[in-house]
Parts: sequence; C-alpha cells; structure tokens
Amino acid sequence: MKAMTIKDVISVQRNRNQIMDEHTKREIRRAVLTAVAVPGYQVPFGSREMPVSRGWGSGGLQITVAVVGKESVLKVYDQGEDGGVNAANLRRLIRNSEGVKTTTDARKADVIQTRHRVPEDELQENQILVLQVPVPEPLREVERDMNELRRMHAEADYAKIWVSLYEDIVHNGVVMKTTGYPCLIDGRYIIATTPIPRWDVPKLHQAPFLALYGAGREKRIYAVPPYTDVEPLTFDDVPFQVEEVNAVCRSCGCSGMKTDGGEAGYLVELPQQDGSSQWVCSDTDWCNRQLNTYLPEDQDFKAGELW
Amino acid sequence: MVNWSVQLQDLGCIYGPNDHASADETGPLFGTNVSETYDSVVACWDVNLHASPGEALGVIGESGSGKSTVMRCIAGDQKPTKGDLRLVSVEGGQRNIFEMDDSARRALRIDQLAVVYQDPSEGLDLKISAGGNIAERLTAAGWRNFKDIRDRATELLHRTEVPLNRMDDPVQTFSGGMRQRVQLAKALANKPPVLILDEPTTGLDASVAAGVLDLIRGLLDETGIAAVVVSHDFNVVEMLTRRCMVMHHGRTVEVGLTDQLLEDPQHPYSQKLVAAARG
Amino acid sequence: MGYVSARGGFEAIQAAEELVKRKRVESGSSWLEIDQIVERLQYSVDRVMGEGGLWDEKLAAFAFRQAEGDLIEAAHLLRSHKSTLPRLGYTEVTHVNQIDVLRRIVPAFREPPGPQLLGKTLDYSGRLLEELDEDKARTEAVEASAKRHDNQQVKAEIATNDHDKPRVPGRLLDVLRSMDAVVERRSGADPEPVDISRTPARPGAPRSSLLSTMARAETGALVQLWYRNILGPDNNINEVTLGEVRHGRLPIIVPHPYTDEPVKVGDVRITEVEAIEDLDRSDEDRGRFDVGYGICFGHNERKAIAMANLDVALTREPEGSWLEQSLLMTTDGLDSSGFLEHLKLPHYVTFRSMMERKIATRKAVLDRDKKGEAITSHHALEEKV
Repeated sequence: MKAMTIKDVISVQRNRNQIMDEHTKREIRRAVLTAVAVPGYQVPFGSREMPVSRGWGSGGLQITVAVVGKESVLKVYDQGEDGGVNAANLRRLIRNSEGVKTTTDARKADVIQTRHRVPEDELQENQILVLQVPVPEPLREVERDMNELRRMHAEADYAKIWVSLYEDIVHNGVVMKTTGYPCLIDGRYIIATTPIPRWDVPKLHQAPFLALYGAGREKRIYAVPPYTDVEPLTFDDVPFQVEEVNAVCRSCGCSGMKTDGGEAGYLVELPQQDGSSQWVCSDTDWCNRQLNTYLPEDQDFKAGELW
Repeated sequence: MVNWSVQLQDLGCIYGPNDHASADETGPLFGTNVSETYDSVVACWDVNLHASPGEALGVIGESGSGKSTVMRCIAGDQKPTKGDLRLVSVEGGQRNIFEMDDSARRALRIDQLAVVYQDPSEGLDLKISAGGNIAERLTAAGWRNFKDIRDRATELLHRTEVPLNRMDDPVQTFSGGMRQRVQLAKALANKPPVLILDEPTTGLDASVAAGVLDLIRGLLDETGIAAVVVSHDFNVVEMLTRRCMVMHHGRTVEVGLTDQLLEDPQHPYSQKLVAAARG
Repeated sequence: MGYVSARGGFEAIQAAEELVKRKRVESGSSWLEIDQIVERLQYSVDRVMGEGGLWDEKLAAFAFRQAEGDLIEAAHLLRSHKSTLPRLGYTEVTHVNQIDVLRRIVPAFREPPGPQLLGKTLDYSGRLLEELDEDKARTEAVEASAKRHDNQQVKAEIATNDHDKPRVPGRLLDVLRSMDAVVERRSGADPEPVDISRTPARPGAPRSSLLSTMARAETGALVQLWYRNILGPDNNINEVTLGEVRHGRLPIIVPHPYTDEPVKVGDVRITEVEAIEDLDRSDEDRGRFDVGYGICFGHNERKAIAMANLDVALTREPEGSWLEQSLLMTTDGLDSSGFLEHLKLPHYVTFRSMMERKIATRKAVLDRDKKGEAITSHHALEEKV
C-alpha cells in the first residue's frame, strides 16, 4: 500500500473522534470480501488496536466501522440488551467516529453489532449482522497445536470433533456443547458460532442476511453469506437440542419453549431471594415490542420502572 | 486386470545424503547398511513385494534388517528415496502412491489402507474410549448416524473379543493385549482392502500374544483382506502367512512359501533365523 | 443486583468516567506534569513505548498519566492512538552499528574490543530504600546535582552528541565470527520485514515477525517464557552468555519528500542484546556457538535479554514449534489482559446455556442408571428430555 504524501495528509480533514483511518477500513473490507467468497474460512487480517480492549469486541468494532456509512442505521447490543454498559460504549464510539444513526429496533437497522445473541426478529436481505467473536477456533477443545488445526481445516479432517460428540453422548447421555455450537458452513468449513446460544443457531441456516464474524484479538474474520447452509454438527438420529425452559417471560409473557408454537424467546434466569426463579427475555427490545410499547428511535434505551 | 491388492516395486530408503551410489557399498554382501563413503544409512534397497486378496505376506528380519522401514514407507509414515507403490483400489492400480501428496496419502488411511502398529498408542488415541477410537474412523469415512456407529463399533469390538462393558472406557485404562485388540478393531472399521501389521504381538505376554494371533488369523480368513505382516518372529509369520520374504541389511535375501522356507531355508541368514526359531 | 441490570447503560458509563476524571485531581497533591513523568519515571515511560510499539516520550507520558500508572492500560492508549494515525512514510534502513551508546557491557569477555561503559545502572548498587524523609531526600538530591562542575555539562551529555563523534564500539558478534566461533546464519537474502500490525504473525512466520512480536510483547510475559525455558519445564534454552548489552540512540533517517536525500529527523533510544547460546544438541554444531538478538524501545534490559535468549531458542526449534506458538499467541500484553478482563463482561446468556446442559445430562444419566442400561441409541434420550 502506498504511503500517503504530505499533501494527502494535509488535505484529509481529521475528525478528532475517528478511531480508524480510511486505509484501514479498506483493508478490513477486503478481508471481509475474502471471507464472504469462502464461507466459513477464517481470514487473517491486520487487526488494529481499538479503543476497546481485546476480548471486548475490538474485532466486531473494526468490521462495523469498516462497513457503515454516514447514512447507516446501527444497532449495538450485548446479551440481547441495548442498554448494557459495553454496548453503550461501543455505540457511542461508533457514532462519534462515523456519524451513524442508532436504533434499538433490529428491524430498522442496516448493521447490527451483537455480542452473544442473534435477534429474535427475522432479519431481511439488506441487513448485516456483525458478531463479536472471543475465540474463532471451533476445534479448540479437541486440538491445541496450530499447525495441526490448520491442516484439519485445510483437509476438512473434522473426525476429532465428531468423536467428541460421540464421547459426549456416550458419557453424558447428551451432546454437552453449550454455546458457540460448531456448525458446518456450505458443507465445507466448520465455524464457531461465537458464543450464541443453540436457540439462535437455526436462525443462521439459509438466512437472508449477511453474517460477519470478527475476532480482533485472534485477528481473524469469517463470514456466512446470505442463503448459505449452516448445519449444527450432530448425528442424524440425535436431535439438535436448544435451551428451552418450561416458563414464560415475566415481562411480555412469551414462552420459553420453541416447541409450543406461538411466540417464544430465549429466556434468562433471575434467581429470587426465596430460592425460586423468574425468567425474562434476553432480547430486551423484542420483548418490549411484544408488549406493544414503542420507543423513540435514536435514543439509548432507558429503563422503565417495571423492568 | 491385476490380481494383487498391493504391489511394491523397487523400494529404496536412504537416511542421510541420498546418493543412490551408496547402495553399492551396503547390503548382506558388505555386512552392513552403513555407507562409509557417503555417510548415510541405506535402510532398505531394491525391495519388492505384493499381496493378493485373502493372502498374507510375511516380512521377516531382525532389527536393522529394513523391515520396519518398508512397513513405514507403505503406511506413509516415512518418505522413500525411490520406489513404486500401488493399490488396486486406487485407480485400478495405475497410480504410484508414492507420488501422491501428503493430504491424499492421509485420505487413503481412512478406508484403503490400515495399519496396526507394534505400539498401540501409535494407532490409538489413548484418551478416548475404545468405541470412540472406532467412531473416529467411521466419522472420517462419513458415517453420521449415532446408532449405526455404535452398532458397528460394538460389532467390531465383539469380534476382536474386547469385553463390551469396557467399550466406553478410555483406552489408556486397557492392558497391552486389550489395546492391541482395539487397534485391530479400529483398523478394520472401514473394511480396508489392505492391512499392514507391524510386530502385532511383540511386547505382549506369551499367552496374551497367542490369543491375539489366533484372532488375527481368524480375521484374515474371514475378511479376505490382503495383509503384510512384519515380524522378527518366525512363529508369528508361520501362523499368519502363506508366503514370506526374509530381509537382511536392507535387502531381500530369500522369498518363498512360508512352509517351505521354514522347512528348507536356502540362504545362510534364513537358515540362521529358522534355527533360532526352532531351537 | 449489580451492573447486570444497569440498563441506563450510557448514564452509568458517564458517571464512571466522571469519577475517574475527578479522582485524577482530587486530594491535595499537585498536578503531575508531563516533564516530571518523562524525566523522573523514565523506565515506566520506556516500557509504555516498548509495549505500545510507538516512540514518543511525551505521548507515552500522557498515556501513563491518564492510565494512573497502569502500564498495560497506557500501552493500550498508545496503540489505539496509533490506529487513528495515517502512515506518512517509512524510514531508511538503520544499521544498529550506527548506535551512539550510553551504556555498553560485554559479559563474555573481560576486555572486549571497544570500551565498556557501565553507564546508568543500578546493577551493582545495594537495593536499599534510601532517605525516607522527603525534605532530606530533596535536599540531598539537589546537593548531589550541584556538585557537578556545571549544569551545561550535564545538559550536553543528555542531548544528542552532535559535536563529538558518536560512541560506537565494535560488535562482539564480529569478533566471534572472526574466530569462526559462531554458526553461520547469514544467507545473503534480504527479505522485506513483515509489518505485524498489518500481517498477523502466526506459526511458520519469518524471523522478522517473531522479533517484532517480541519487541512489543509484555515484559513480564517474555521474562516468564524465558524462565520456564531455562529452568522450568519447557527446557529450550541451554546455557547463555551475553555478548553485547547496549543502551543507546539510533538515528531516524527518512528520505526527504522533495529531494529524496536521506535526512536525519530525530533519534530513538533502544536497548539491544546479543545472547550467545552454547549449542548442546546432538544434531547441532557443537564446535560453535549460536547467537540470538533482542532489541526494544527505551531502556529495558530484562526485556531485551529475554528476547535475545528466546530468539536463539526459536532458531533451534523447528518451524511452528510449541515455543513459537506460545510466543506468538500468549505474550502480547493487550491480548492477554484484554481477554482475561473480558471475563468481567456479562456472560449470563452463555451461563444459562451451560446450566441447561447440566440439567439435561443429569436427567439423561439418571434415567440411564435407573434403567440399568448403557446409552445405545438416542431413543432413550428423546423420552427423557
């Protein structure tokens, strides 16, 4: 890449809050394009240090900053919550750096940066989901040597992870993988679906939206283009089990069981003082809409009393 | 149409500077594998063999004879200096396996060529269960049904006389003889047409060894597999093979029907070995 | 209920930030000047530059002050600042023999060619807390300073040596080579060095990537990796003697934007070390030594020494070794601390998923035990769950 001349530097009007220069954005977009061209392949990229620490979403942040434009509408949330502290920090950084509009409504966003959840809303063709990835290597539990990992992906030699599934069932009666379930992309590469719950995995299969995965610390980007096969690894005769609970959301009343039919959401547990548990939707904005409450756009989500 | 399952021609393997001329100063006539001039070891040279379906070929020799090198070259664990290896199941025997790249050779080990090592830990993952080791081969071959995998593993372990109540135990908790049985079961998982056995019972107690040998013989009869049995022990070769070859200082010194060779060895080195086995 | 339910996320952050800013100036102490940090806390500033991968003493001091002394935090500030800056150009290649030494020792020989300069070091002084009375300490320090003939001389020594010839002693490696005592590693090739901030260094990376990674690795991590290798379980370092240990200035030379002539635009201070390894493996040339090289920004001898030791250890190991993987994947301070501290982020979505599997397996195993059967097919599972 050609270095800038002094003229170039003087002519660029620097926004003091800009967290990434334009050359870098281009570099990241190129890595993203490579990733989209080879679904599920982990593309190494020159991951820059960001104002958030490694492990805190620096990879997702780089992708988002590289793909948004001034006209973009952005949603950033964490554990399903728009109001979480880390999401609020990321949202602020991106807004100050790139001048985007923000929203909490997943249906209205062009780009959604997320940590650990996929929206309960069905996303559409022109939307991009950017997932924060702490550890991009799906085979990490069965192999640590990086040369061997490289070979396994290159030769599609995934026997070791299949064996771990077999052993799980044999020793534990069930597949014990919790979140970040390994999935086969387009019949070729296995990816770590970041730590999203199994509940969210079926939303990825043949989805109309583009999913981009950013691992800043490990310096890898991977992607699942729209309408691509995403198959969680499991045996033909062992059904893929999602996290269900025989309870309802204490706020909107939706069910915690996909199998019931009707509206269902991923619920998280709130242990009470008396030893019982209440359950509530993880996806706060979606939950709120189930209640028919509307929020003004472009504002950070504010806590209501009942919440 | 060929009638062999595996054919090896002109195998040579030199450790060190691999000038082919070093072969001219080594071998039984020189009493050594080591080439002084070229500072290399000619582990084996000009080795040929073949085995047909249902046939077992023995390769006998003491340590340093080159038999292990031959085994490793066929298995793909060692790169030869020269040679031509073919499997009838790969392009009808038209392709020289030695010219394939590492990935392709590894793929052969899934269901075209299986190896049972002298040390079971070379052929097994000790940390996973007996059934899991077999599942590894089956899933590598594309099996995706848990019940089918489980049933096949059960069937194989039953046949190799591994107690089924130990099927889910990690292999590192098994005795040597039991590990060898698991290795056999794993090797046969995908019904490979060719099987290499390297000192399959060396290191096992005599009574245990006898049982494993019996098992192997039964399996060879049943499966119609083409086998190459590498051993220093004439008793093993006698029990398992119809033909055999004797190696010394990296070369083949005698080839023949096992029974005949044992009864009437021609080469002085073969005579020494037979005498030692009998005496 | 803690911050998990802090849904007024933005307000909460603002409050936290105000608290941090307030605490920087509250209490009775005076404002901490940048000059004070640069001049009185040199080793912290040097370490921040070294781990931040950016030479700028003032900027490092700003970072150090903003981070209230947290070295990794300060290094992070430098690096993320660097991410906002466009590249203006590249320096000319600078040979380390252009160094103007402030300190130079050669442990391998009693009298190496060229001068040994003890320089500024505490190595041979007693490690004792000195005067604890503040006023006395200040008075003593001022008196000691006044004892020098004149302040001008002091100034001249710390400024760049424009008038005198730079002190450039010969290099021990050249001496060892003339004795034919070292393994020849030079291949004559001159590959372009890899920029690890653009191309992540991964196993199988060229030496320039490995050295760059070490140059900005966390000091403690390198020292720990060295220690485990020389005495601990990893065992990849045998017996090292140091050749050169130097602290000095290197010129920064760039092509003039209009004339293209080389022009010196400043200096960096670096520490560089040569480590001489006694080769002891059966497949090595036991008649010779091998030499490793370490270099980093500022005055940081323990880091450069660890780096030089690890450089030669890496050369002896095959490509993609565990040592190389450990170095590339676990010694960057920002990566390791960031990942460690990310555990503080809410993890309740994943925790819920783990809890669900715990319940699922307890159920499955209980049912299996009740029935006294091994799991032979999934059908047993479907009914229970």
